[in-house]
Amino acid sequence: MSQRPSYAVGTGLFIVLGFAALGYLATQTTSVANTSRGPSYTVEAHFANIGQLKERAPVKVAGVRIGQVQSIVLDPGKETADVKLAIDQRYDKIPADSVATIFTSGLLGDQYVGIQYGSSSKALANGGTLALTRPAQQLEEMLGKFFGAGGAADNLGGSYTVKARFTNVGALSAGAPVKMAGVAIGSVKSVQADPVKLDALVELSIDKKYGQIPDDSAAAVFTSGLIGTQYVAIQPGGSPDALKDGDELVLTQSALQLEDLIGKFLVNGSGDKKPDGAPASSSSSPAGKR
Amino acid sequence: MTDSVRAKPDDSAIVRVRGLTTVLNGKTIFDALDLDIPRGKVTAIMGPSGTGKTTLLKHITGQMRGQSGEVWVDGRNVPALRREQLFELRERIGYLFQNSALLTDFDVFENVAFPLRQHTALPEVLIRNIVLTKLQAVGLRGAARLLPSELSGGMARRVALARAIVFDPMLILYDEPFVGLDPIALNQVLKLIRTLNETLGITSVLVAHELAAVQQVADHVYLIANGKVVAQGDPKTIASDGSPWTRQFFGGEADGPVPFQYPAGDYAASLGFKGGA
Amino acid sequence: MNAPRDNIVTRSLAQIGDCGLFLLQILAAVPRSMRHARETVRQLWFVGAMSLIIIMVCGLFVGMVLGLQLYDVLSIFGGTSATGTVVAIAIYRELGPVVTALLFAGRAGTSVTAEIGLMRATDQIAAMEMMAVDPIAYVAVPRFLAGIIAMPLLCCVFCALGIFGGHLVGVSWLGIDNGTFWSNMTATVDLVKDVLNGVLWKSMAFGGVVSLIAVFQGYTTPPTSEGVAYATTRTVVASSIAILALDFVLTAFLM
Repeated sequence: MSQRPSYAVGTGLFIVLGFAALGYLATQTTSVANTSRGPSYTVEAHFANIGQLKERAPVKVAGVRIGQVQSIVLDPGKETADVKLAIDQRYDKIPADSVATIFTSGLLGDQYVGIQYGSSSKALANGGTLALTRPAQQLEEMLGKFFGAGGAADNLGGSYTVKARFTNVGALSAGAPVKMAGVAIGSVKSVQADPVKLDALVELSIDKKYGQIPDDSAAAVFTSGLIGTQYVAIQPGGSPDALKDGDELVLTQSALQLEDLIGKFLVNGSGDKKPDGAPASSSSSPAGKR
Repeated sequence: MTDSVRAKPDDSAIVRVRGLTTVLNGKTIFDALDLDIPRGKVTAIMGPSGTGKTTLLKHITGQMRGQSGEVWVDGRNVPALRREQLFELRERIGYLFQNSALLTDFDVFENVAFPLRQHTALPEVLIRNIVLTKLQAVGLRGAARLLPSELSGGMARRVALARAIVFDPMLILYDEPFVGLDPIALNQVLKLIRTLNETLGITSVLVAHELAAVQQVADHVYLIANGKVVAQGDPKTIASDGSPWTRQFFGGEADGPVPFQYPAGDYAASLGFKGGA
Repeated sequence: MNAPRDNIVTRSLAQIGDCGLFLLQILAAVPRSMRHARETVRQLWFVGAMSLIIIMVCGLFVGMVLGLQLYDVLSIFGGTSATGTVVAIAIYRELGPVVTALLFAGRAGTSVTAEIGLMRATDQIAAMEMMAVDPIAYVAVPRFLAGIIAMPLLCCVFCALGIFGGHLVGVSWLGIDNGTFWSNMTATVDLVKDVLNGVLWKSMAFGGVVSLIAVFQGYTTPPTSEGVAYATTRTVVASSIAILALDFVLTAFLM
């Protein structure tokens, strides 16, 4: 074709522009941008808890990216996660006694591995191991009070069962966490109503690790935050004797029912105006329970 | 129906219609129509509006099919053709639309070149030469780079004609080629139809109302009404055929075999008078 | 075609059915239209390149307003560093394909419908038939293919401008750290899930649906000026509904 139509050039430009935009999106704004391009070497680090760390998460020194997480493996039989870090070849002077920590970028950001340099003159080699590690700060625990408690604690070391009686468990259900000092130490095994004593019998399954809880400790049903789920909190007592399997926690504090709180407030606020002999119809239920 | 009306089998006929019956939306357009169009001649098809003259052209090109009957074009029965065969046939038929139907996206040159580009892989030089030759034939070589929107009705029709003859077809169908033209443009088109027929020997079929124009150009005239050929013959003499159809049509009478009143119920009754009963 | 079309439900169903049959016709004609590749390029120019300006301007503003709104909300949680991430994900997964498709329907779809409607009204389609050129292969298919090709490209441009707009507001105006903006984005946005599934496949499907509806409406409308005007409106209405409904279905499948 001797005469090339004028639109052909424009269409070609349009297609090139479109593909350029696609290339830009794909390489500059996605995780593809994070794949290391140069040669790298691998070091290992063992973490007790990796939190939300994912493969390809960045590895940073002083906030500067020097590599990425290559793989995360949990060795069977071991309690630590084996994390392999691919570090760019040019950062080959990392002291062997450096500390690897799992950080979170900002409140909502993803997690990354931060390396704080040690003082050793020996540098990490390919295949070397970062001996000193700090596990992830569990954001859930910090946020738990806002967004609900985390899942049940792991029962790796086995557990023992104690009982507690509550006059009211609120919305507590089996599987809810048992916490001491805010840390999950076990989970609620079962929640049953006692047909004779007319209260709730709750069985708590507590990790064997925590075998030194005083037997005069108190159990309370708390709510994580205003809208969170409920959990059992153990407040340690002062007795020298520890709780054993099958023991019962005597001191208990039942769930504070939000409805009750609101109910009390409403009833107290309006009760003065109500004549005493008035038939207890509409506002009777919260007041009557009291 | 007289003997003269019945078309006789004729080997020189390029189009031969036999017993064509078409019903559209419950209205009978053709009722066992028989018609021959002789090769190398200019044939005019005339008739009152709504008698299906354009429909007849569409039957010849296979754009429409009747309920029964045969339409033989150059030895092939159009209703029985498959789409590819139909396309093959259409490449040898030129069709001039009433409103020219130029492609608005292209200029005059590209419009005329369009069939060539679609069906051939000719070198650009050759396409250029063919197109300019055809444009010269219709007197519009100078307008090659104008857009269809810049053309007058007569010019557009001439461009459409150039496009219709770009493949040197054996048959050209003109659908109302004279409508809406001033006398000058009308005579230009008339001259072109005559020239094309005489110099290239192209068979022409034209659908028209204008008796004066038809008399100048046509060799043979068919008058169609009520789905049948009601009169045919030489354009000079057909007007004096004597049948009520020709008298009304060529005499331009308001009432006759074609009624002034569209068929309706009893007038008095629909006005609410019980007059008749 | 002779099914009773007395109420809006049966009429719509019949339209969808006709549209489906028309799609089959178009798909069957795709191999035949390969020799009209030139026409496809020309249509790509009309529906694609000519829509570029509106797409770019709208993409920029959508990105800017997203940056502004998200910064405002995220600052409640102290999470403004996630602005880039959320802008990117919102644009890639939903706003990019959907807004581009809606703009595409308004800009290119209507002109395709009107053009084809007028081509029918002025006998151009019939003229092609008479010149032994299959109008489905020559008119319908190139516009359909051009829509499918142009939409993803337009969507990419839209998204790129959207990210730029978000960056402009977030970094240049509201003072989010440039590195944080990008590193949070690149840490979260996924190539397959967000860019390929979100931007490419979705917009390709939208492009096909919009141009199918546009071509179908133009092709089937009564060839009168009133019919063309009506068909143009219907293109926008039907495309918009189809885009949003299809968006839900595709999201459910691609997630």
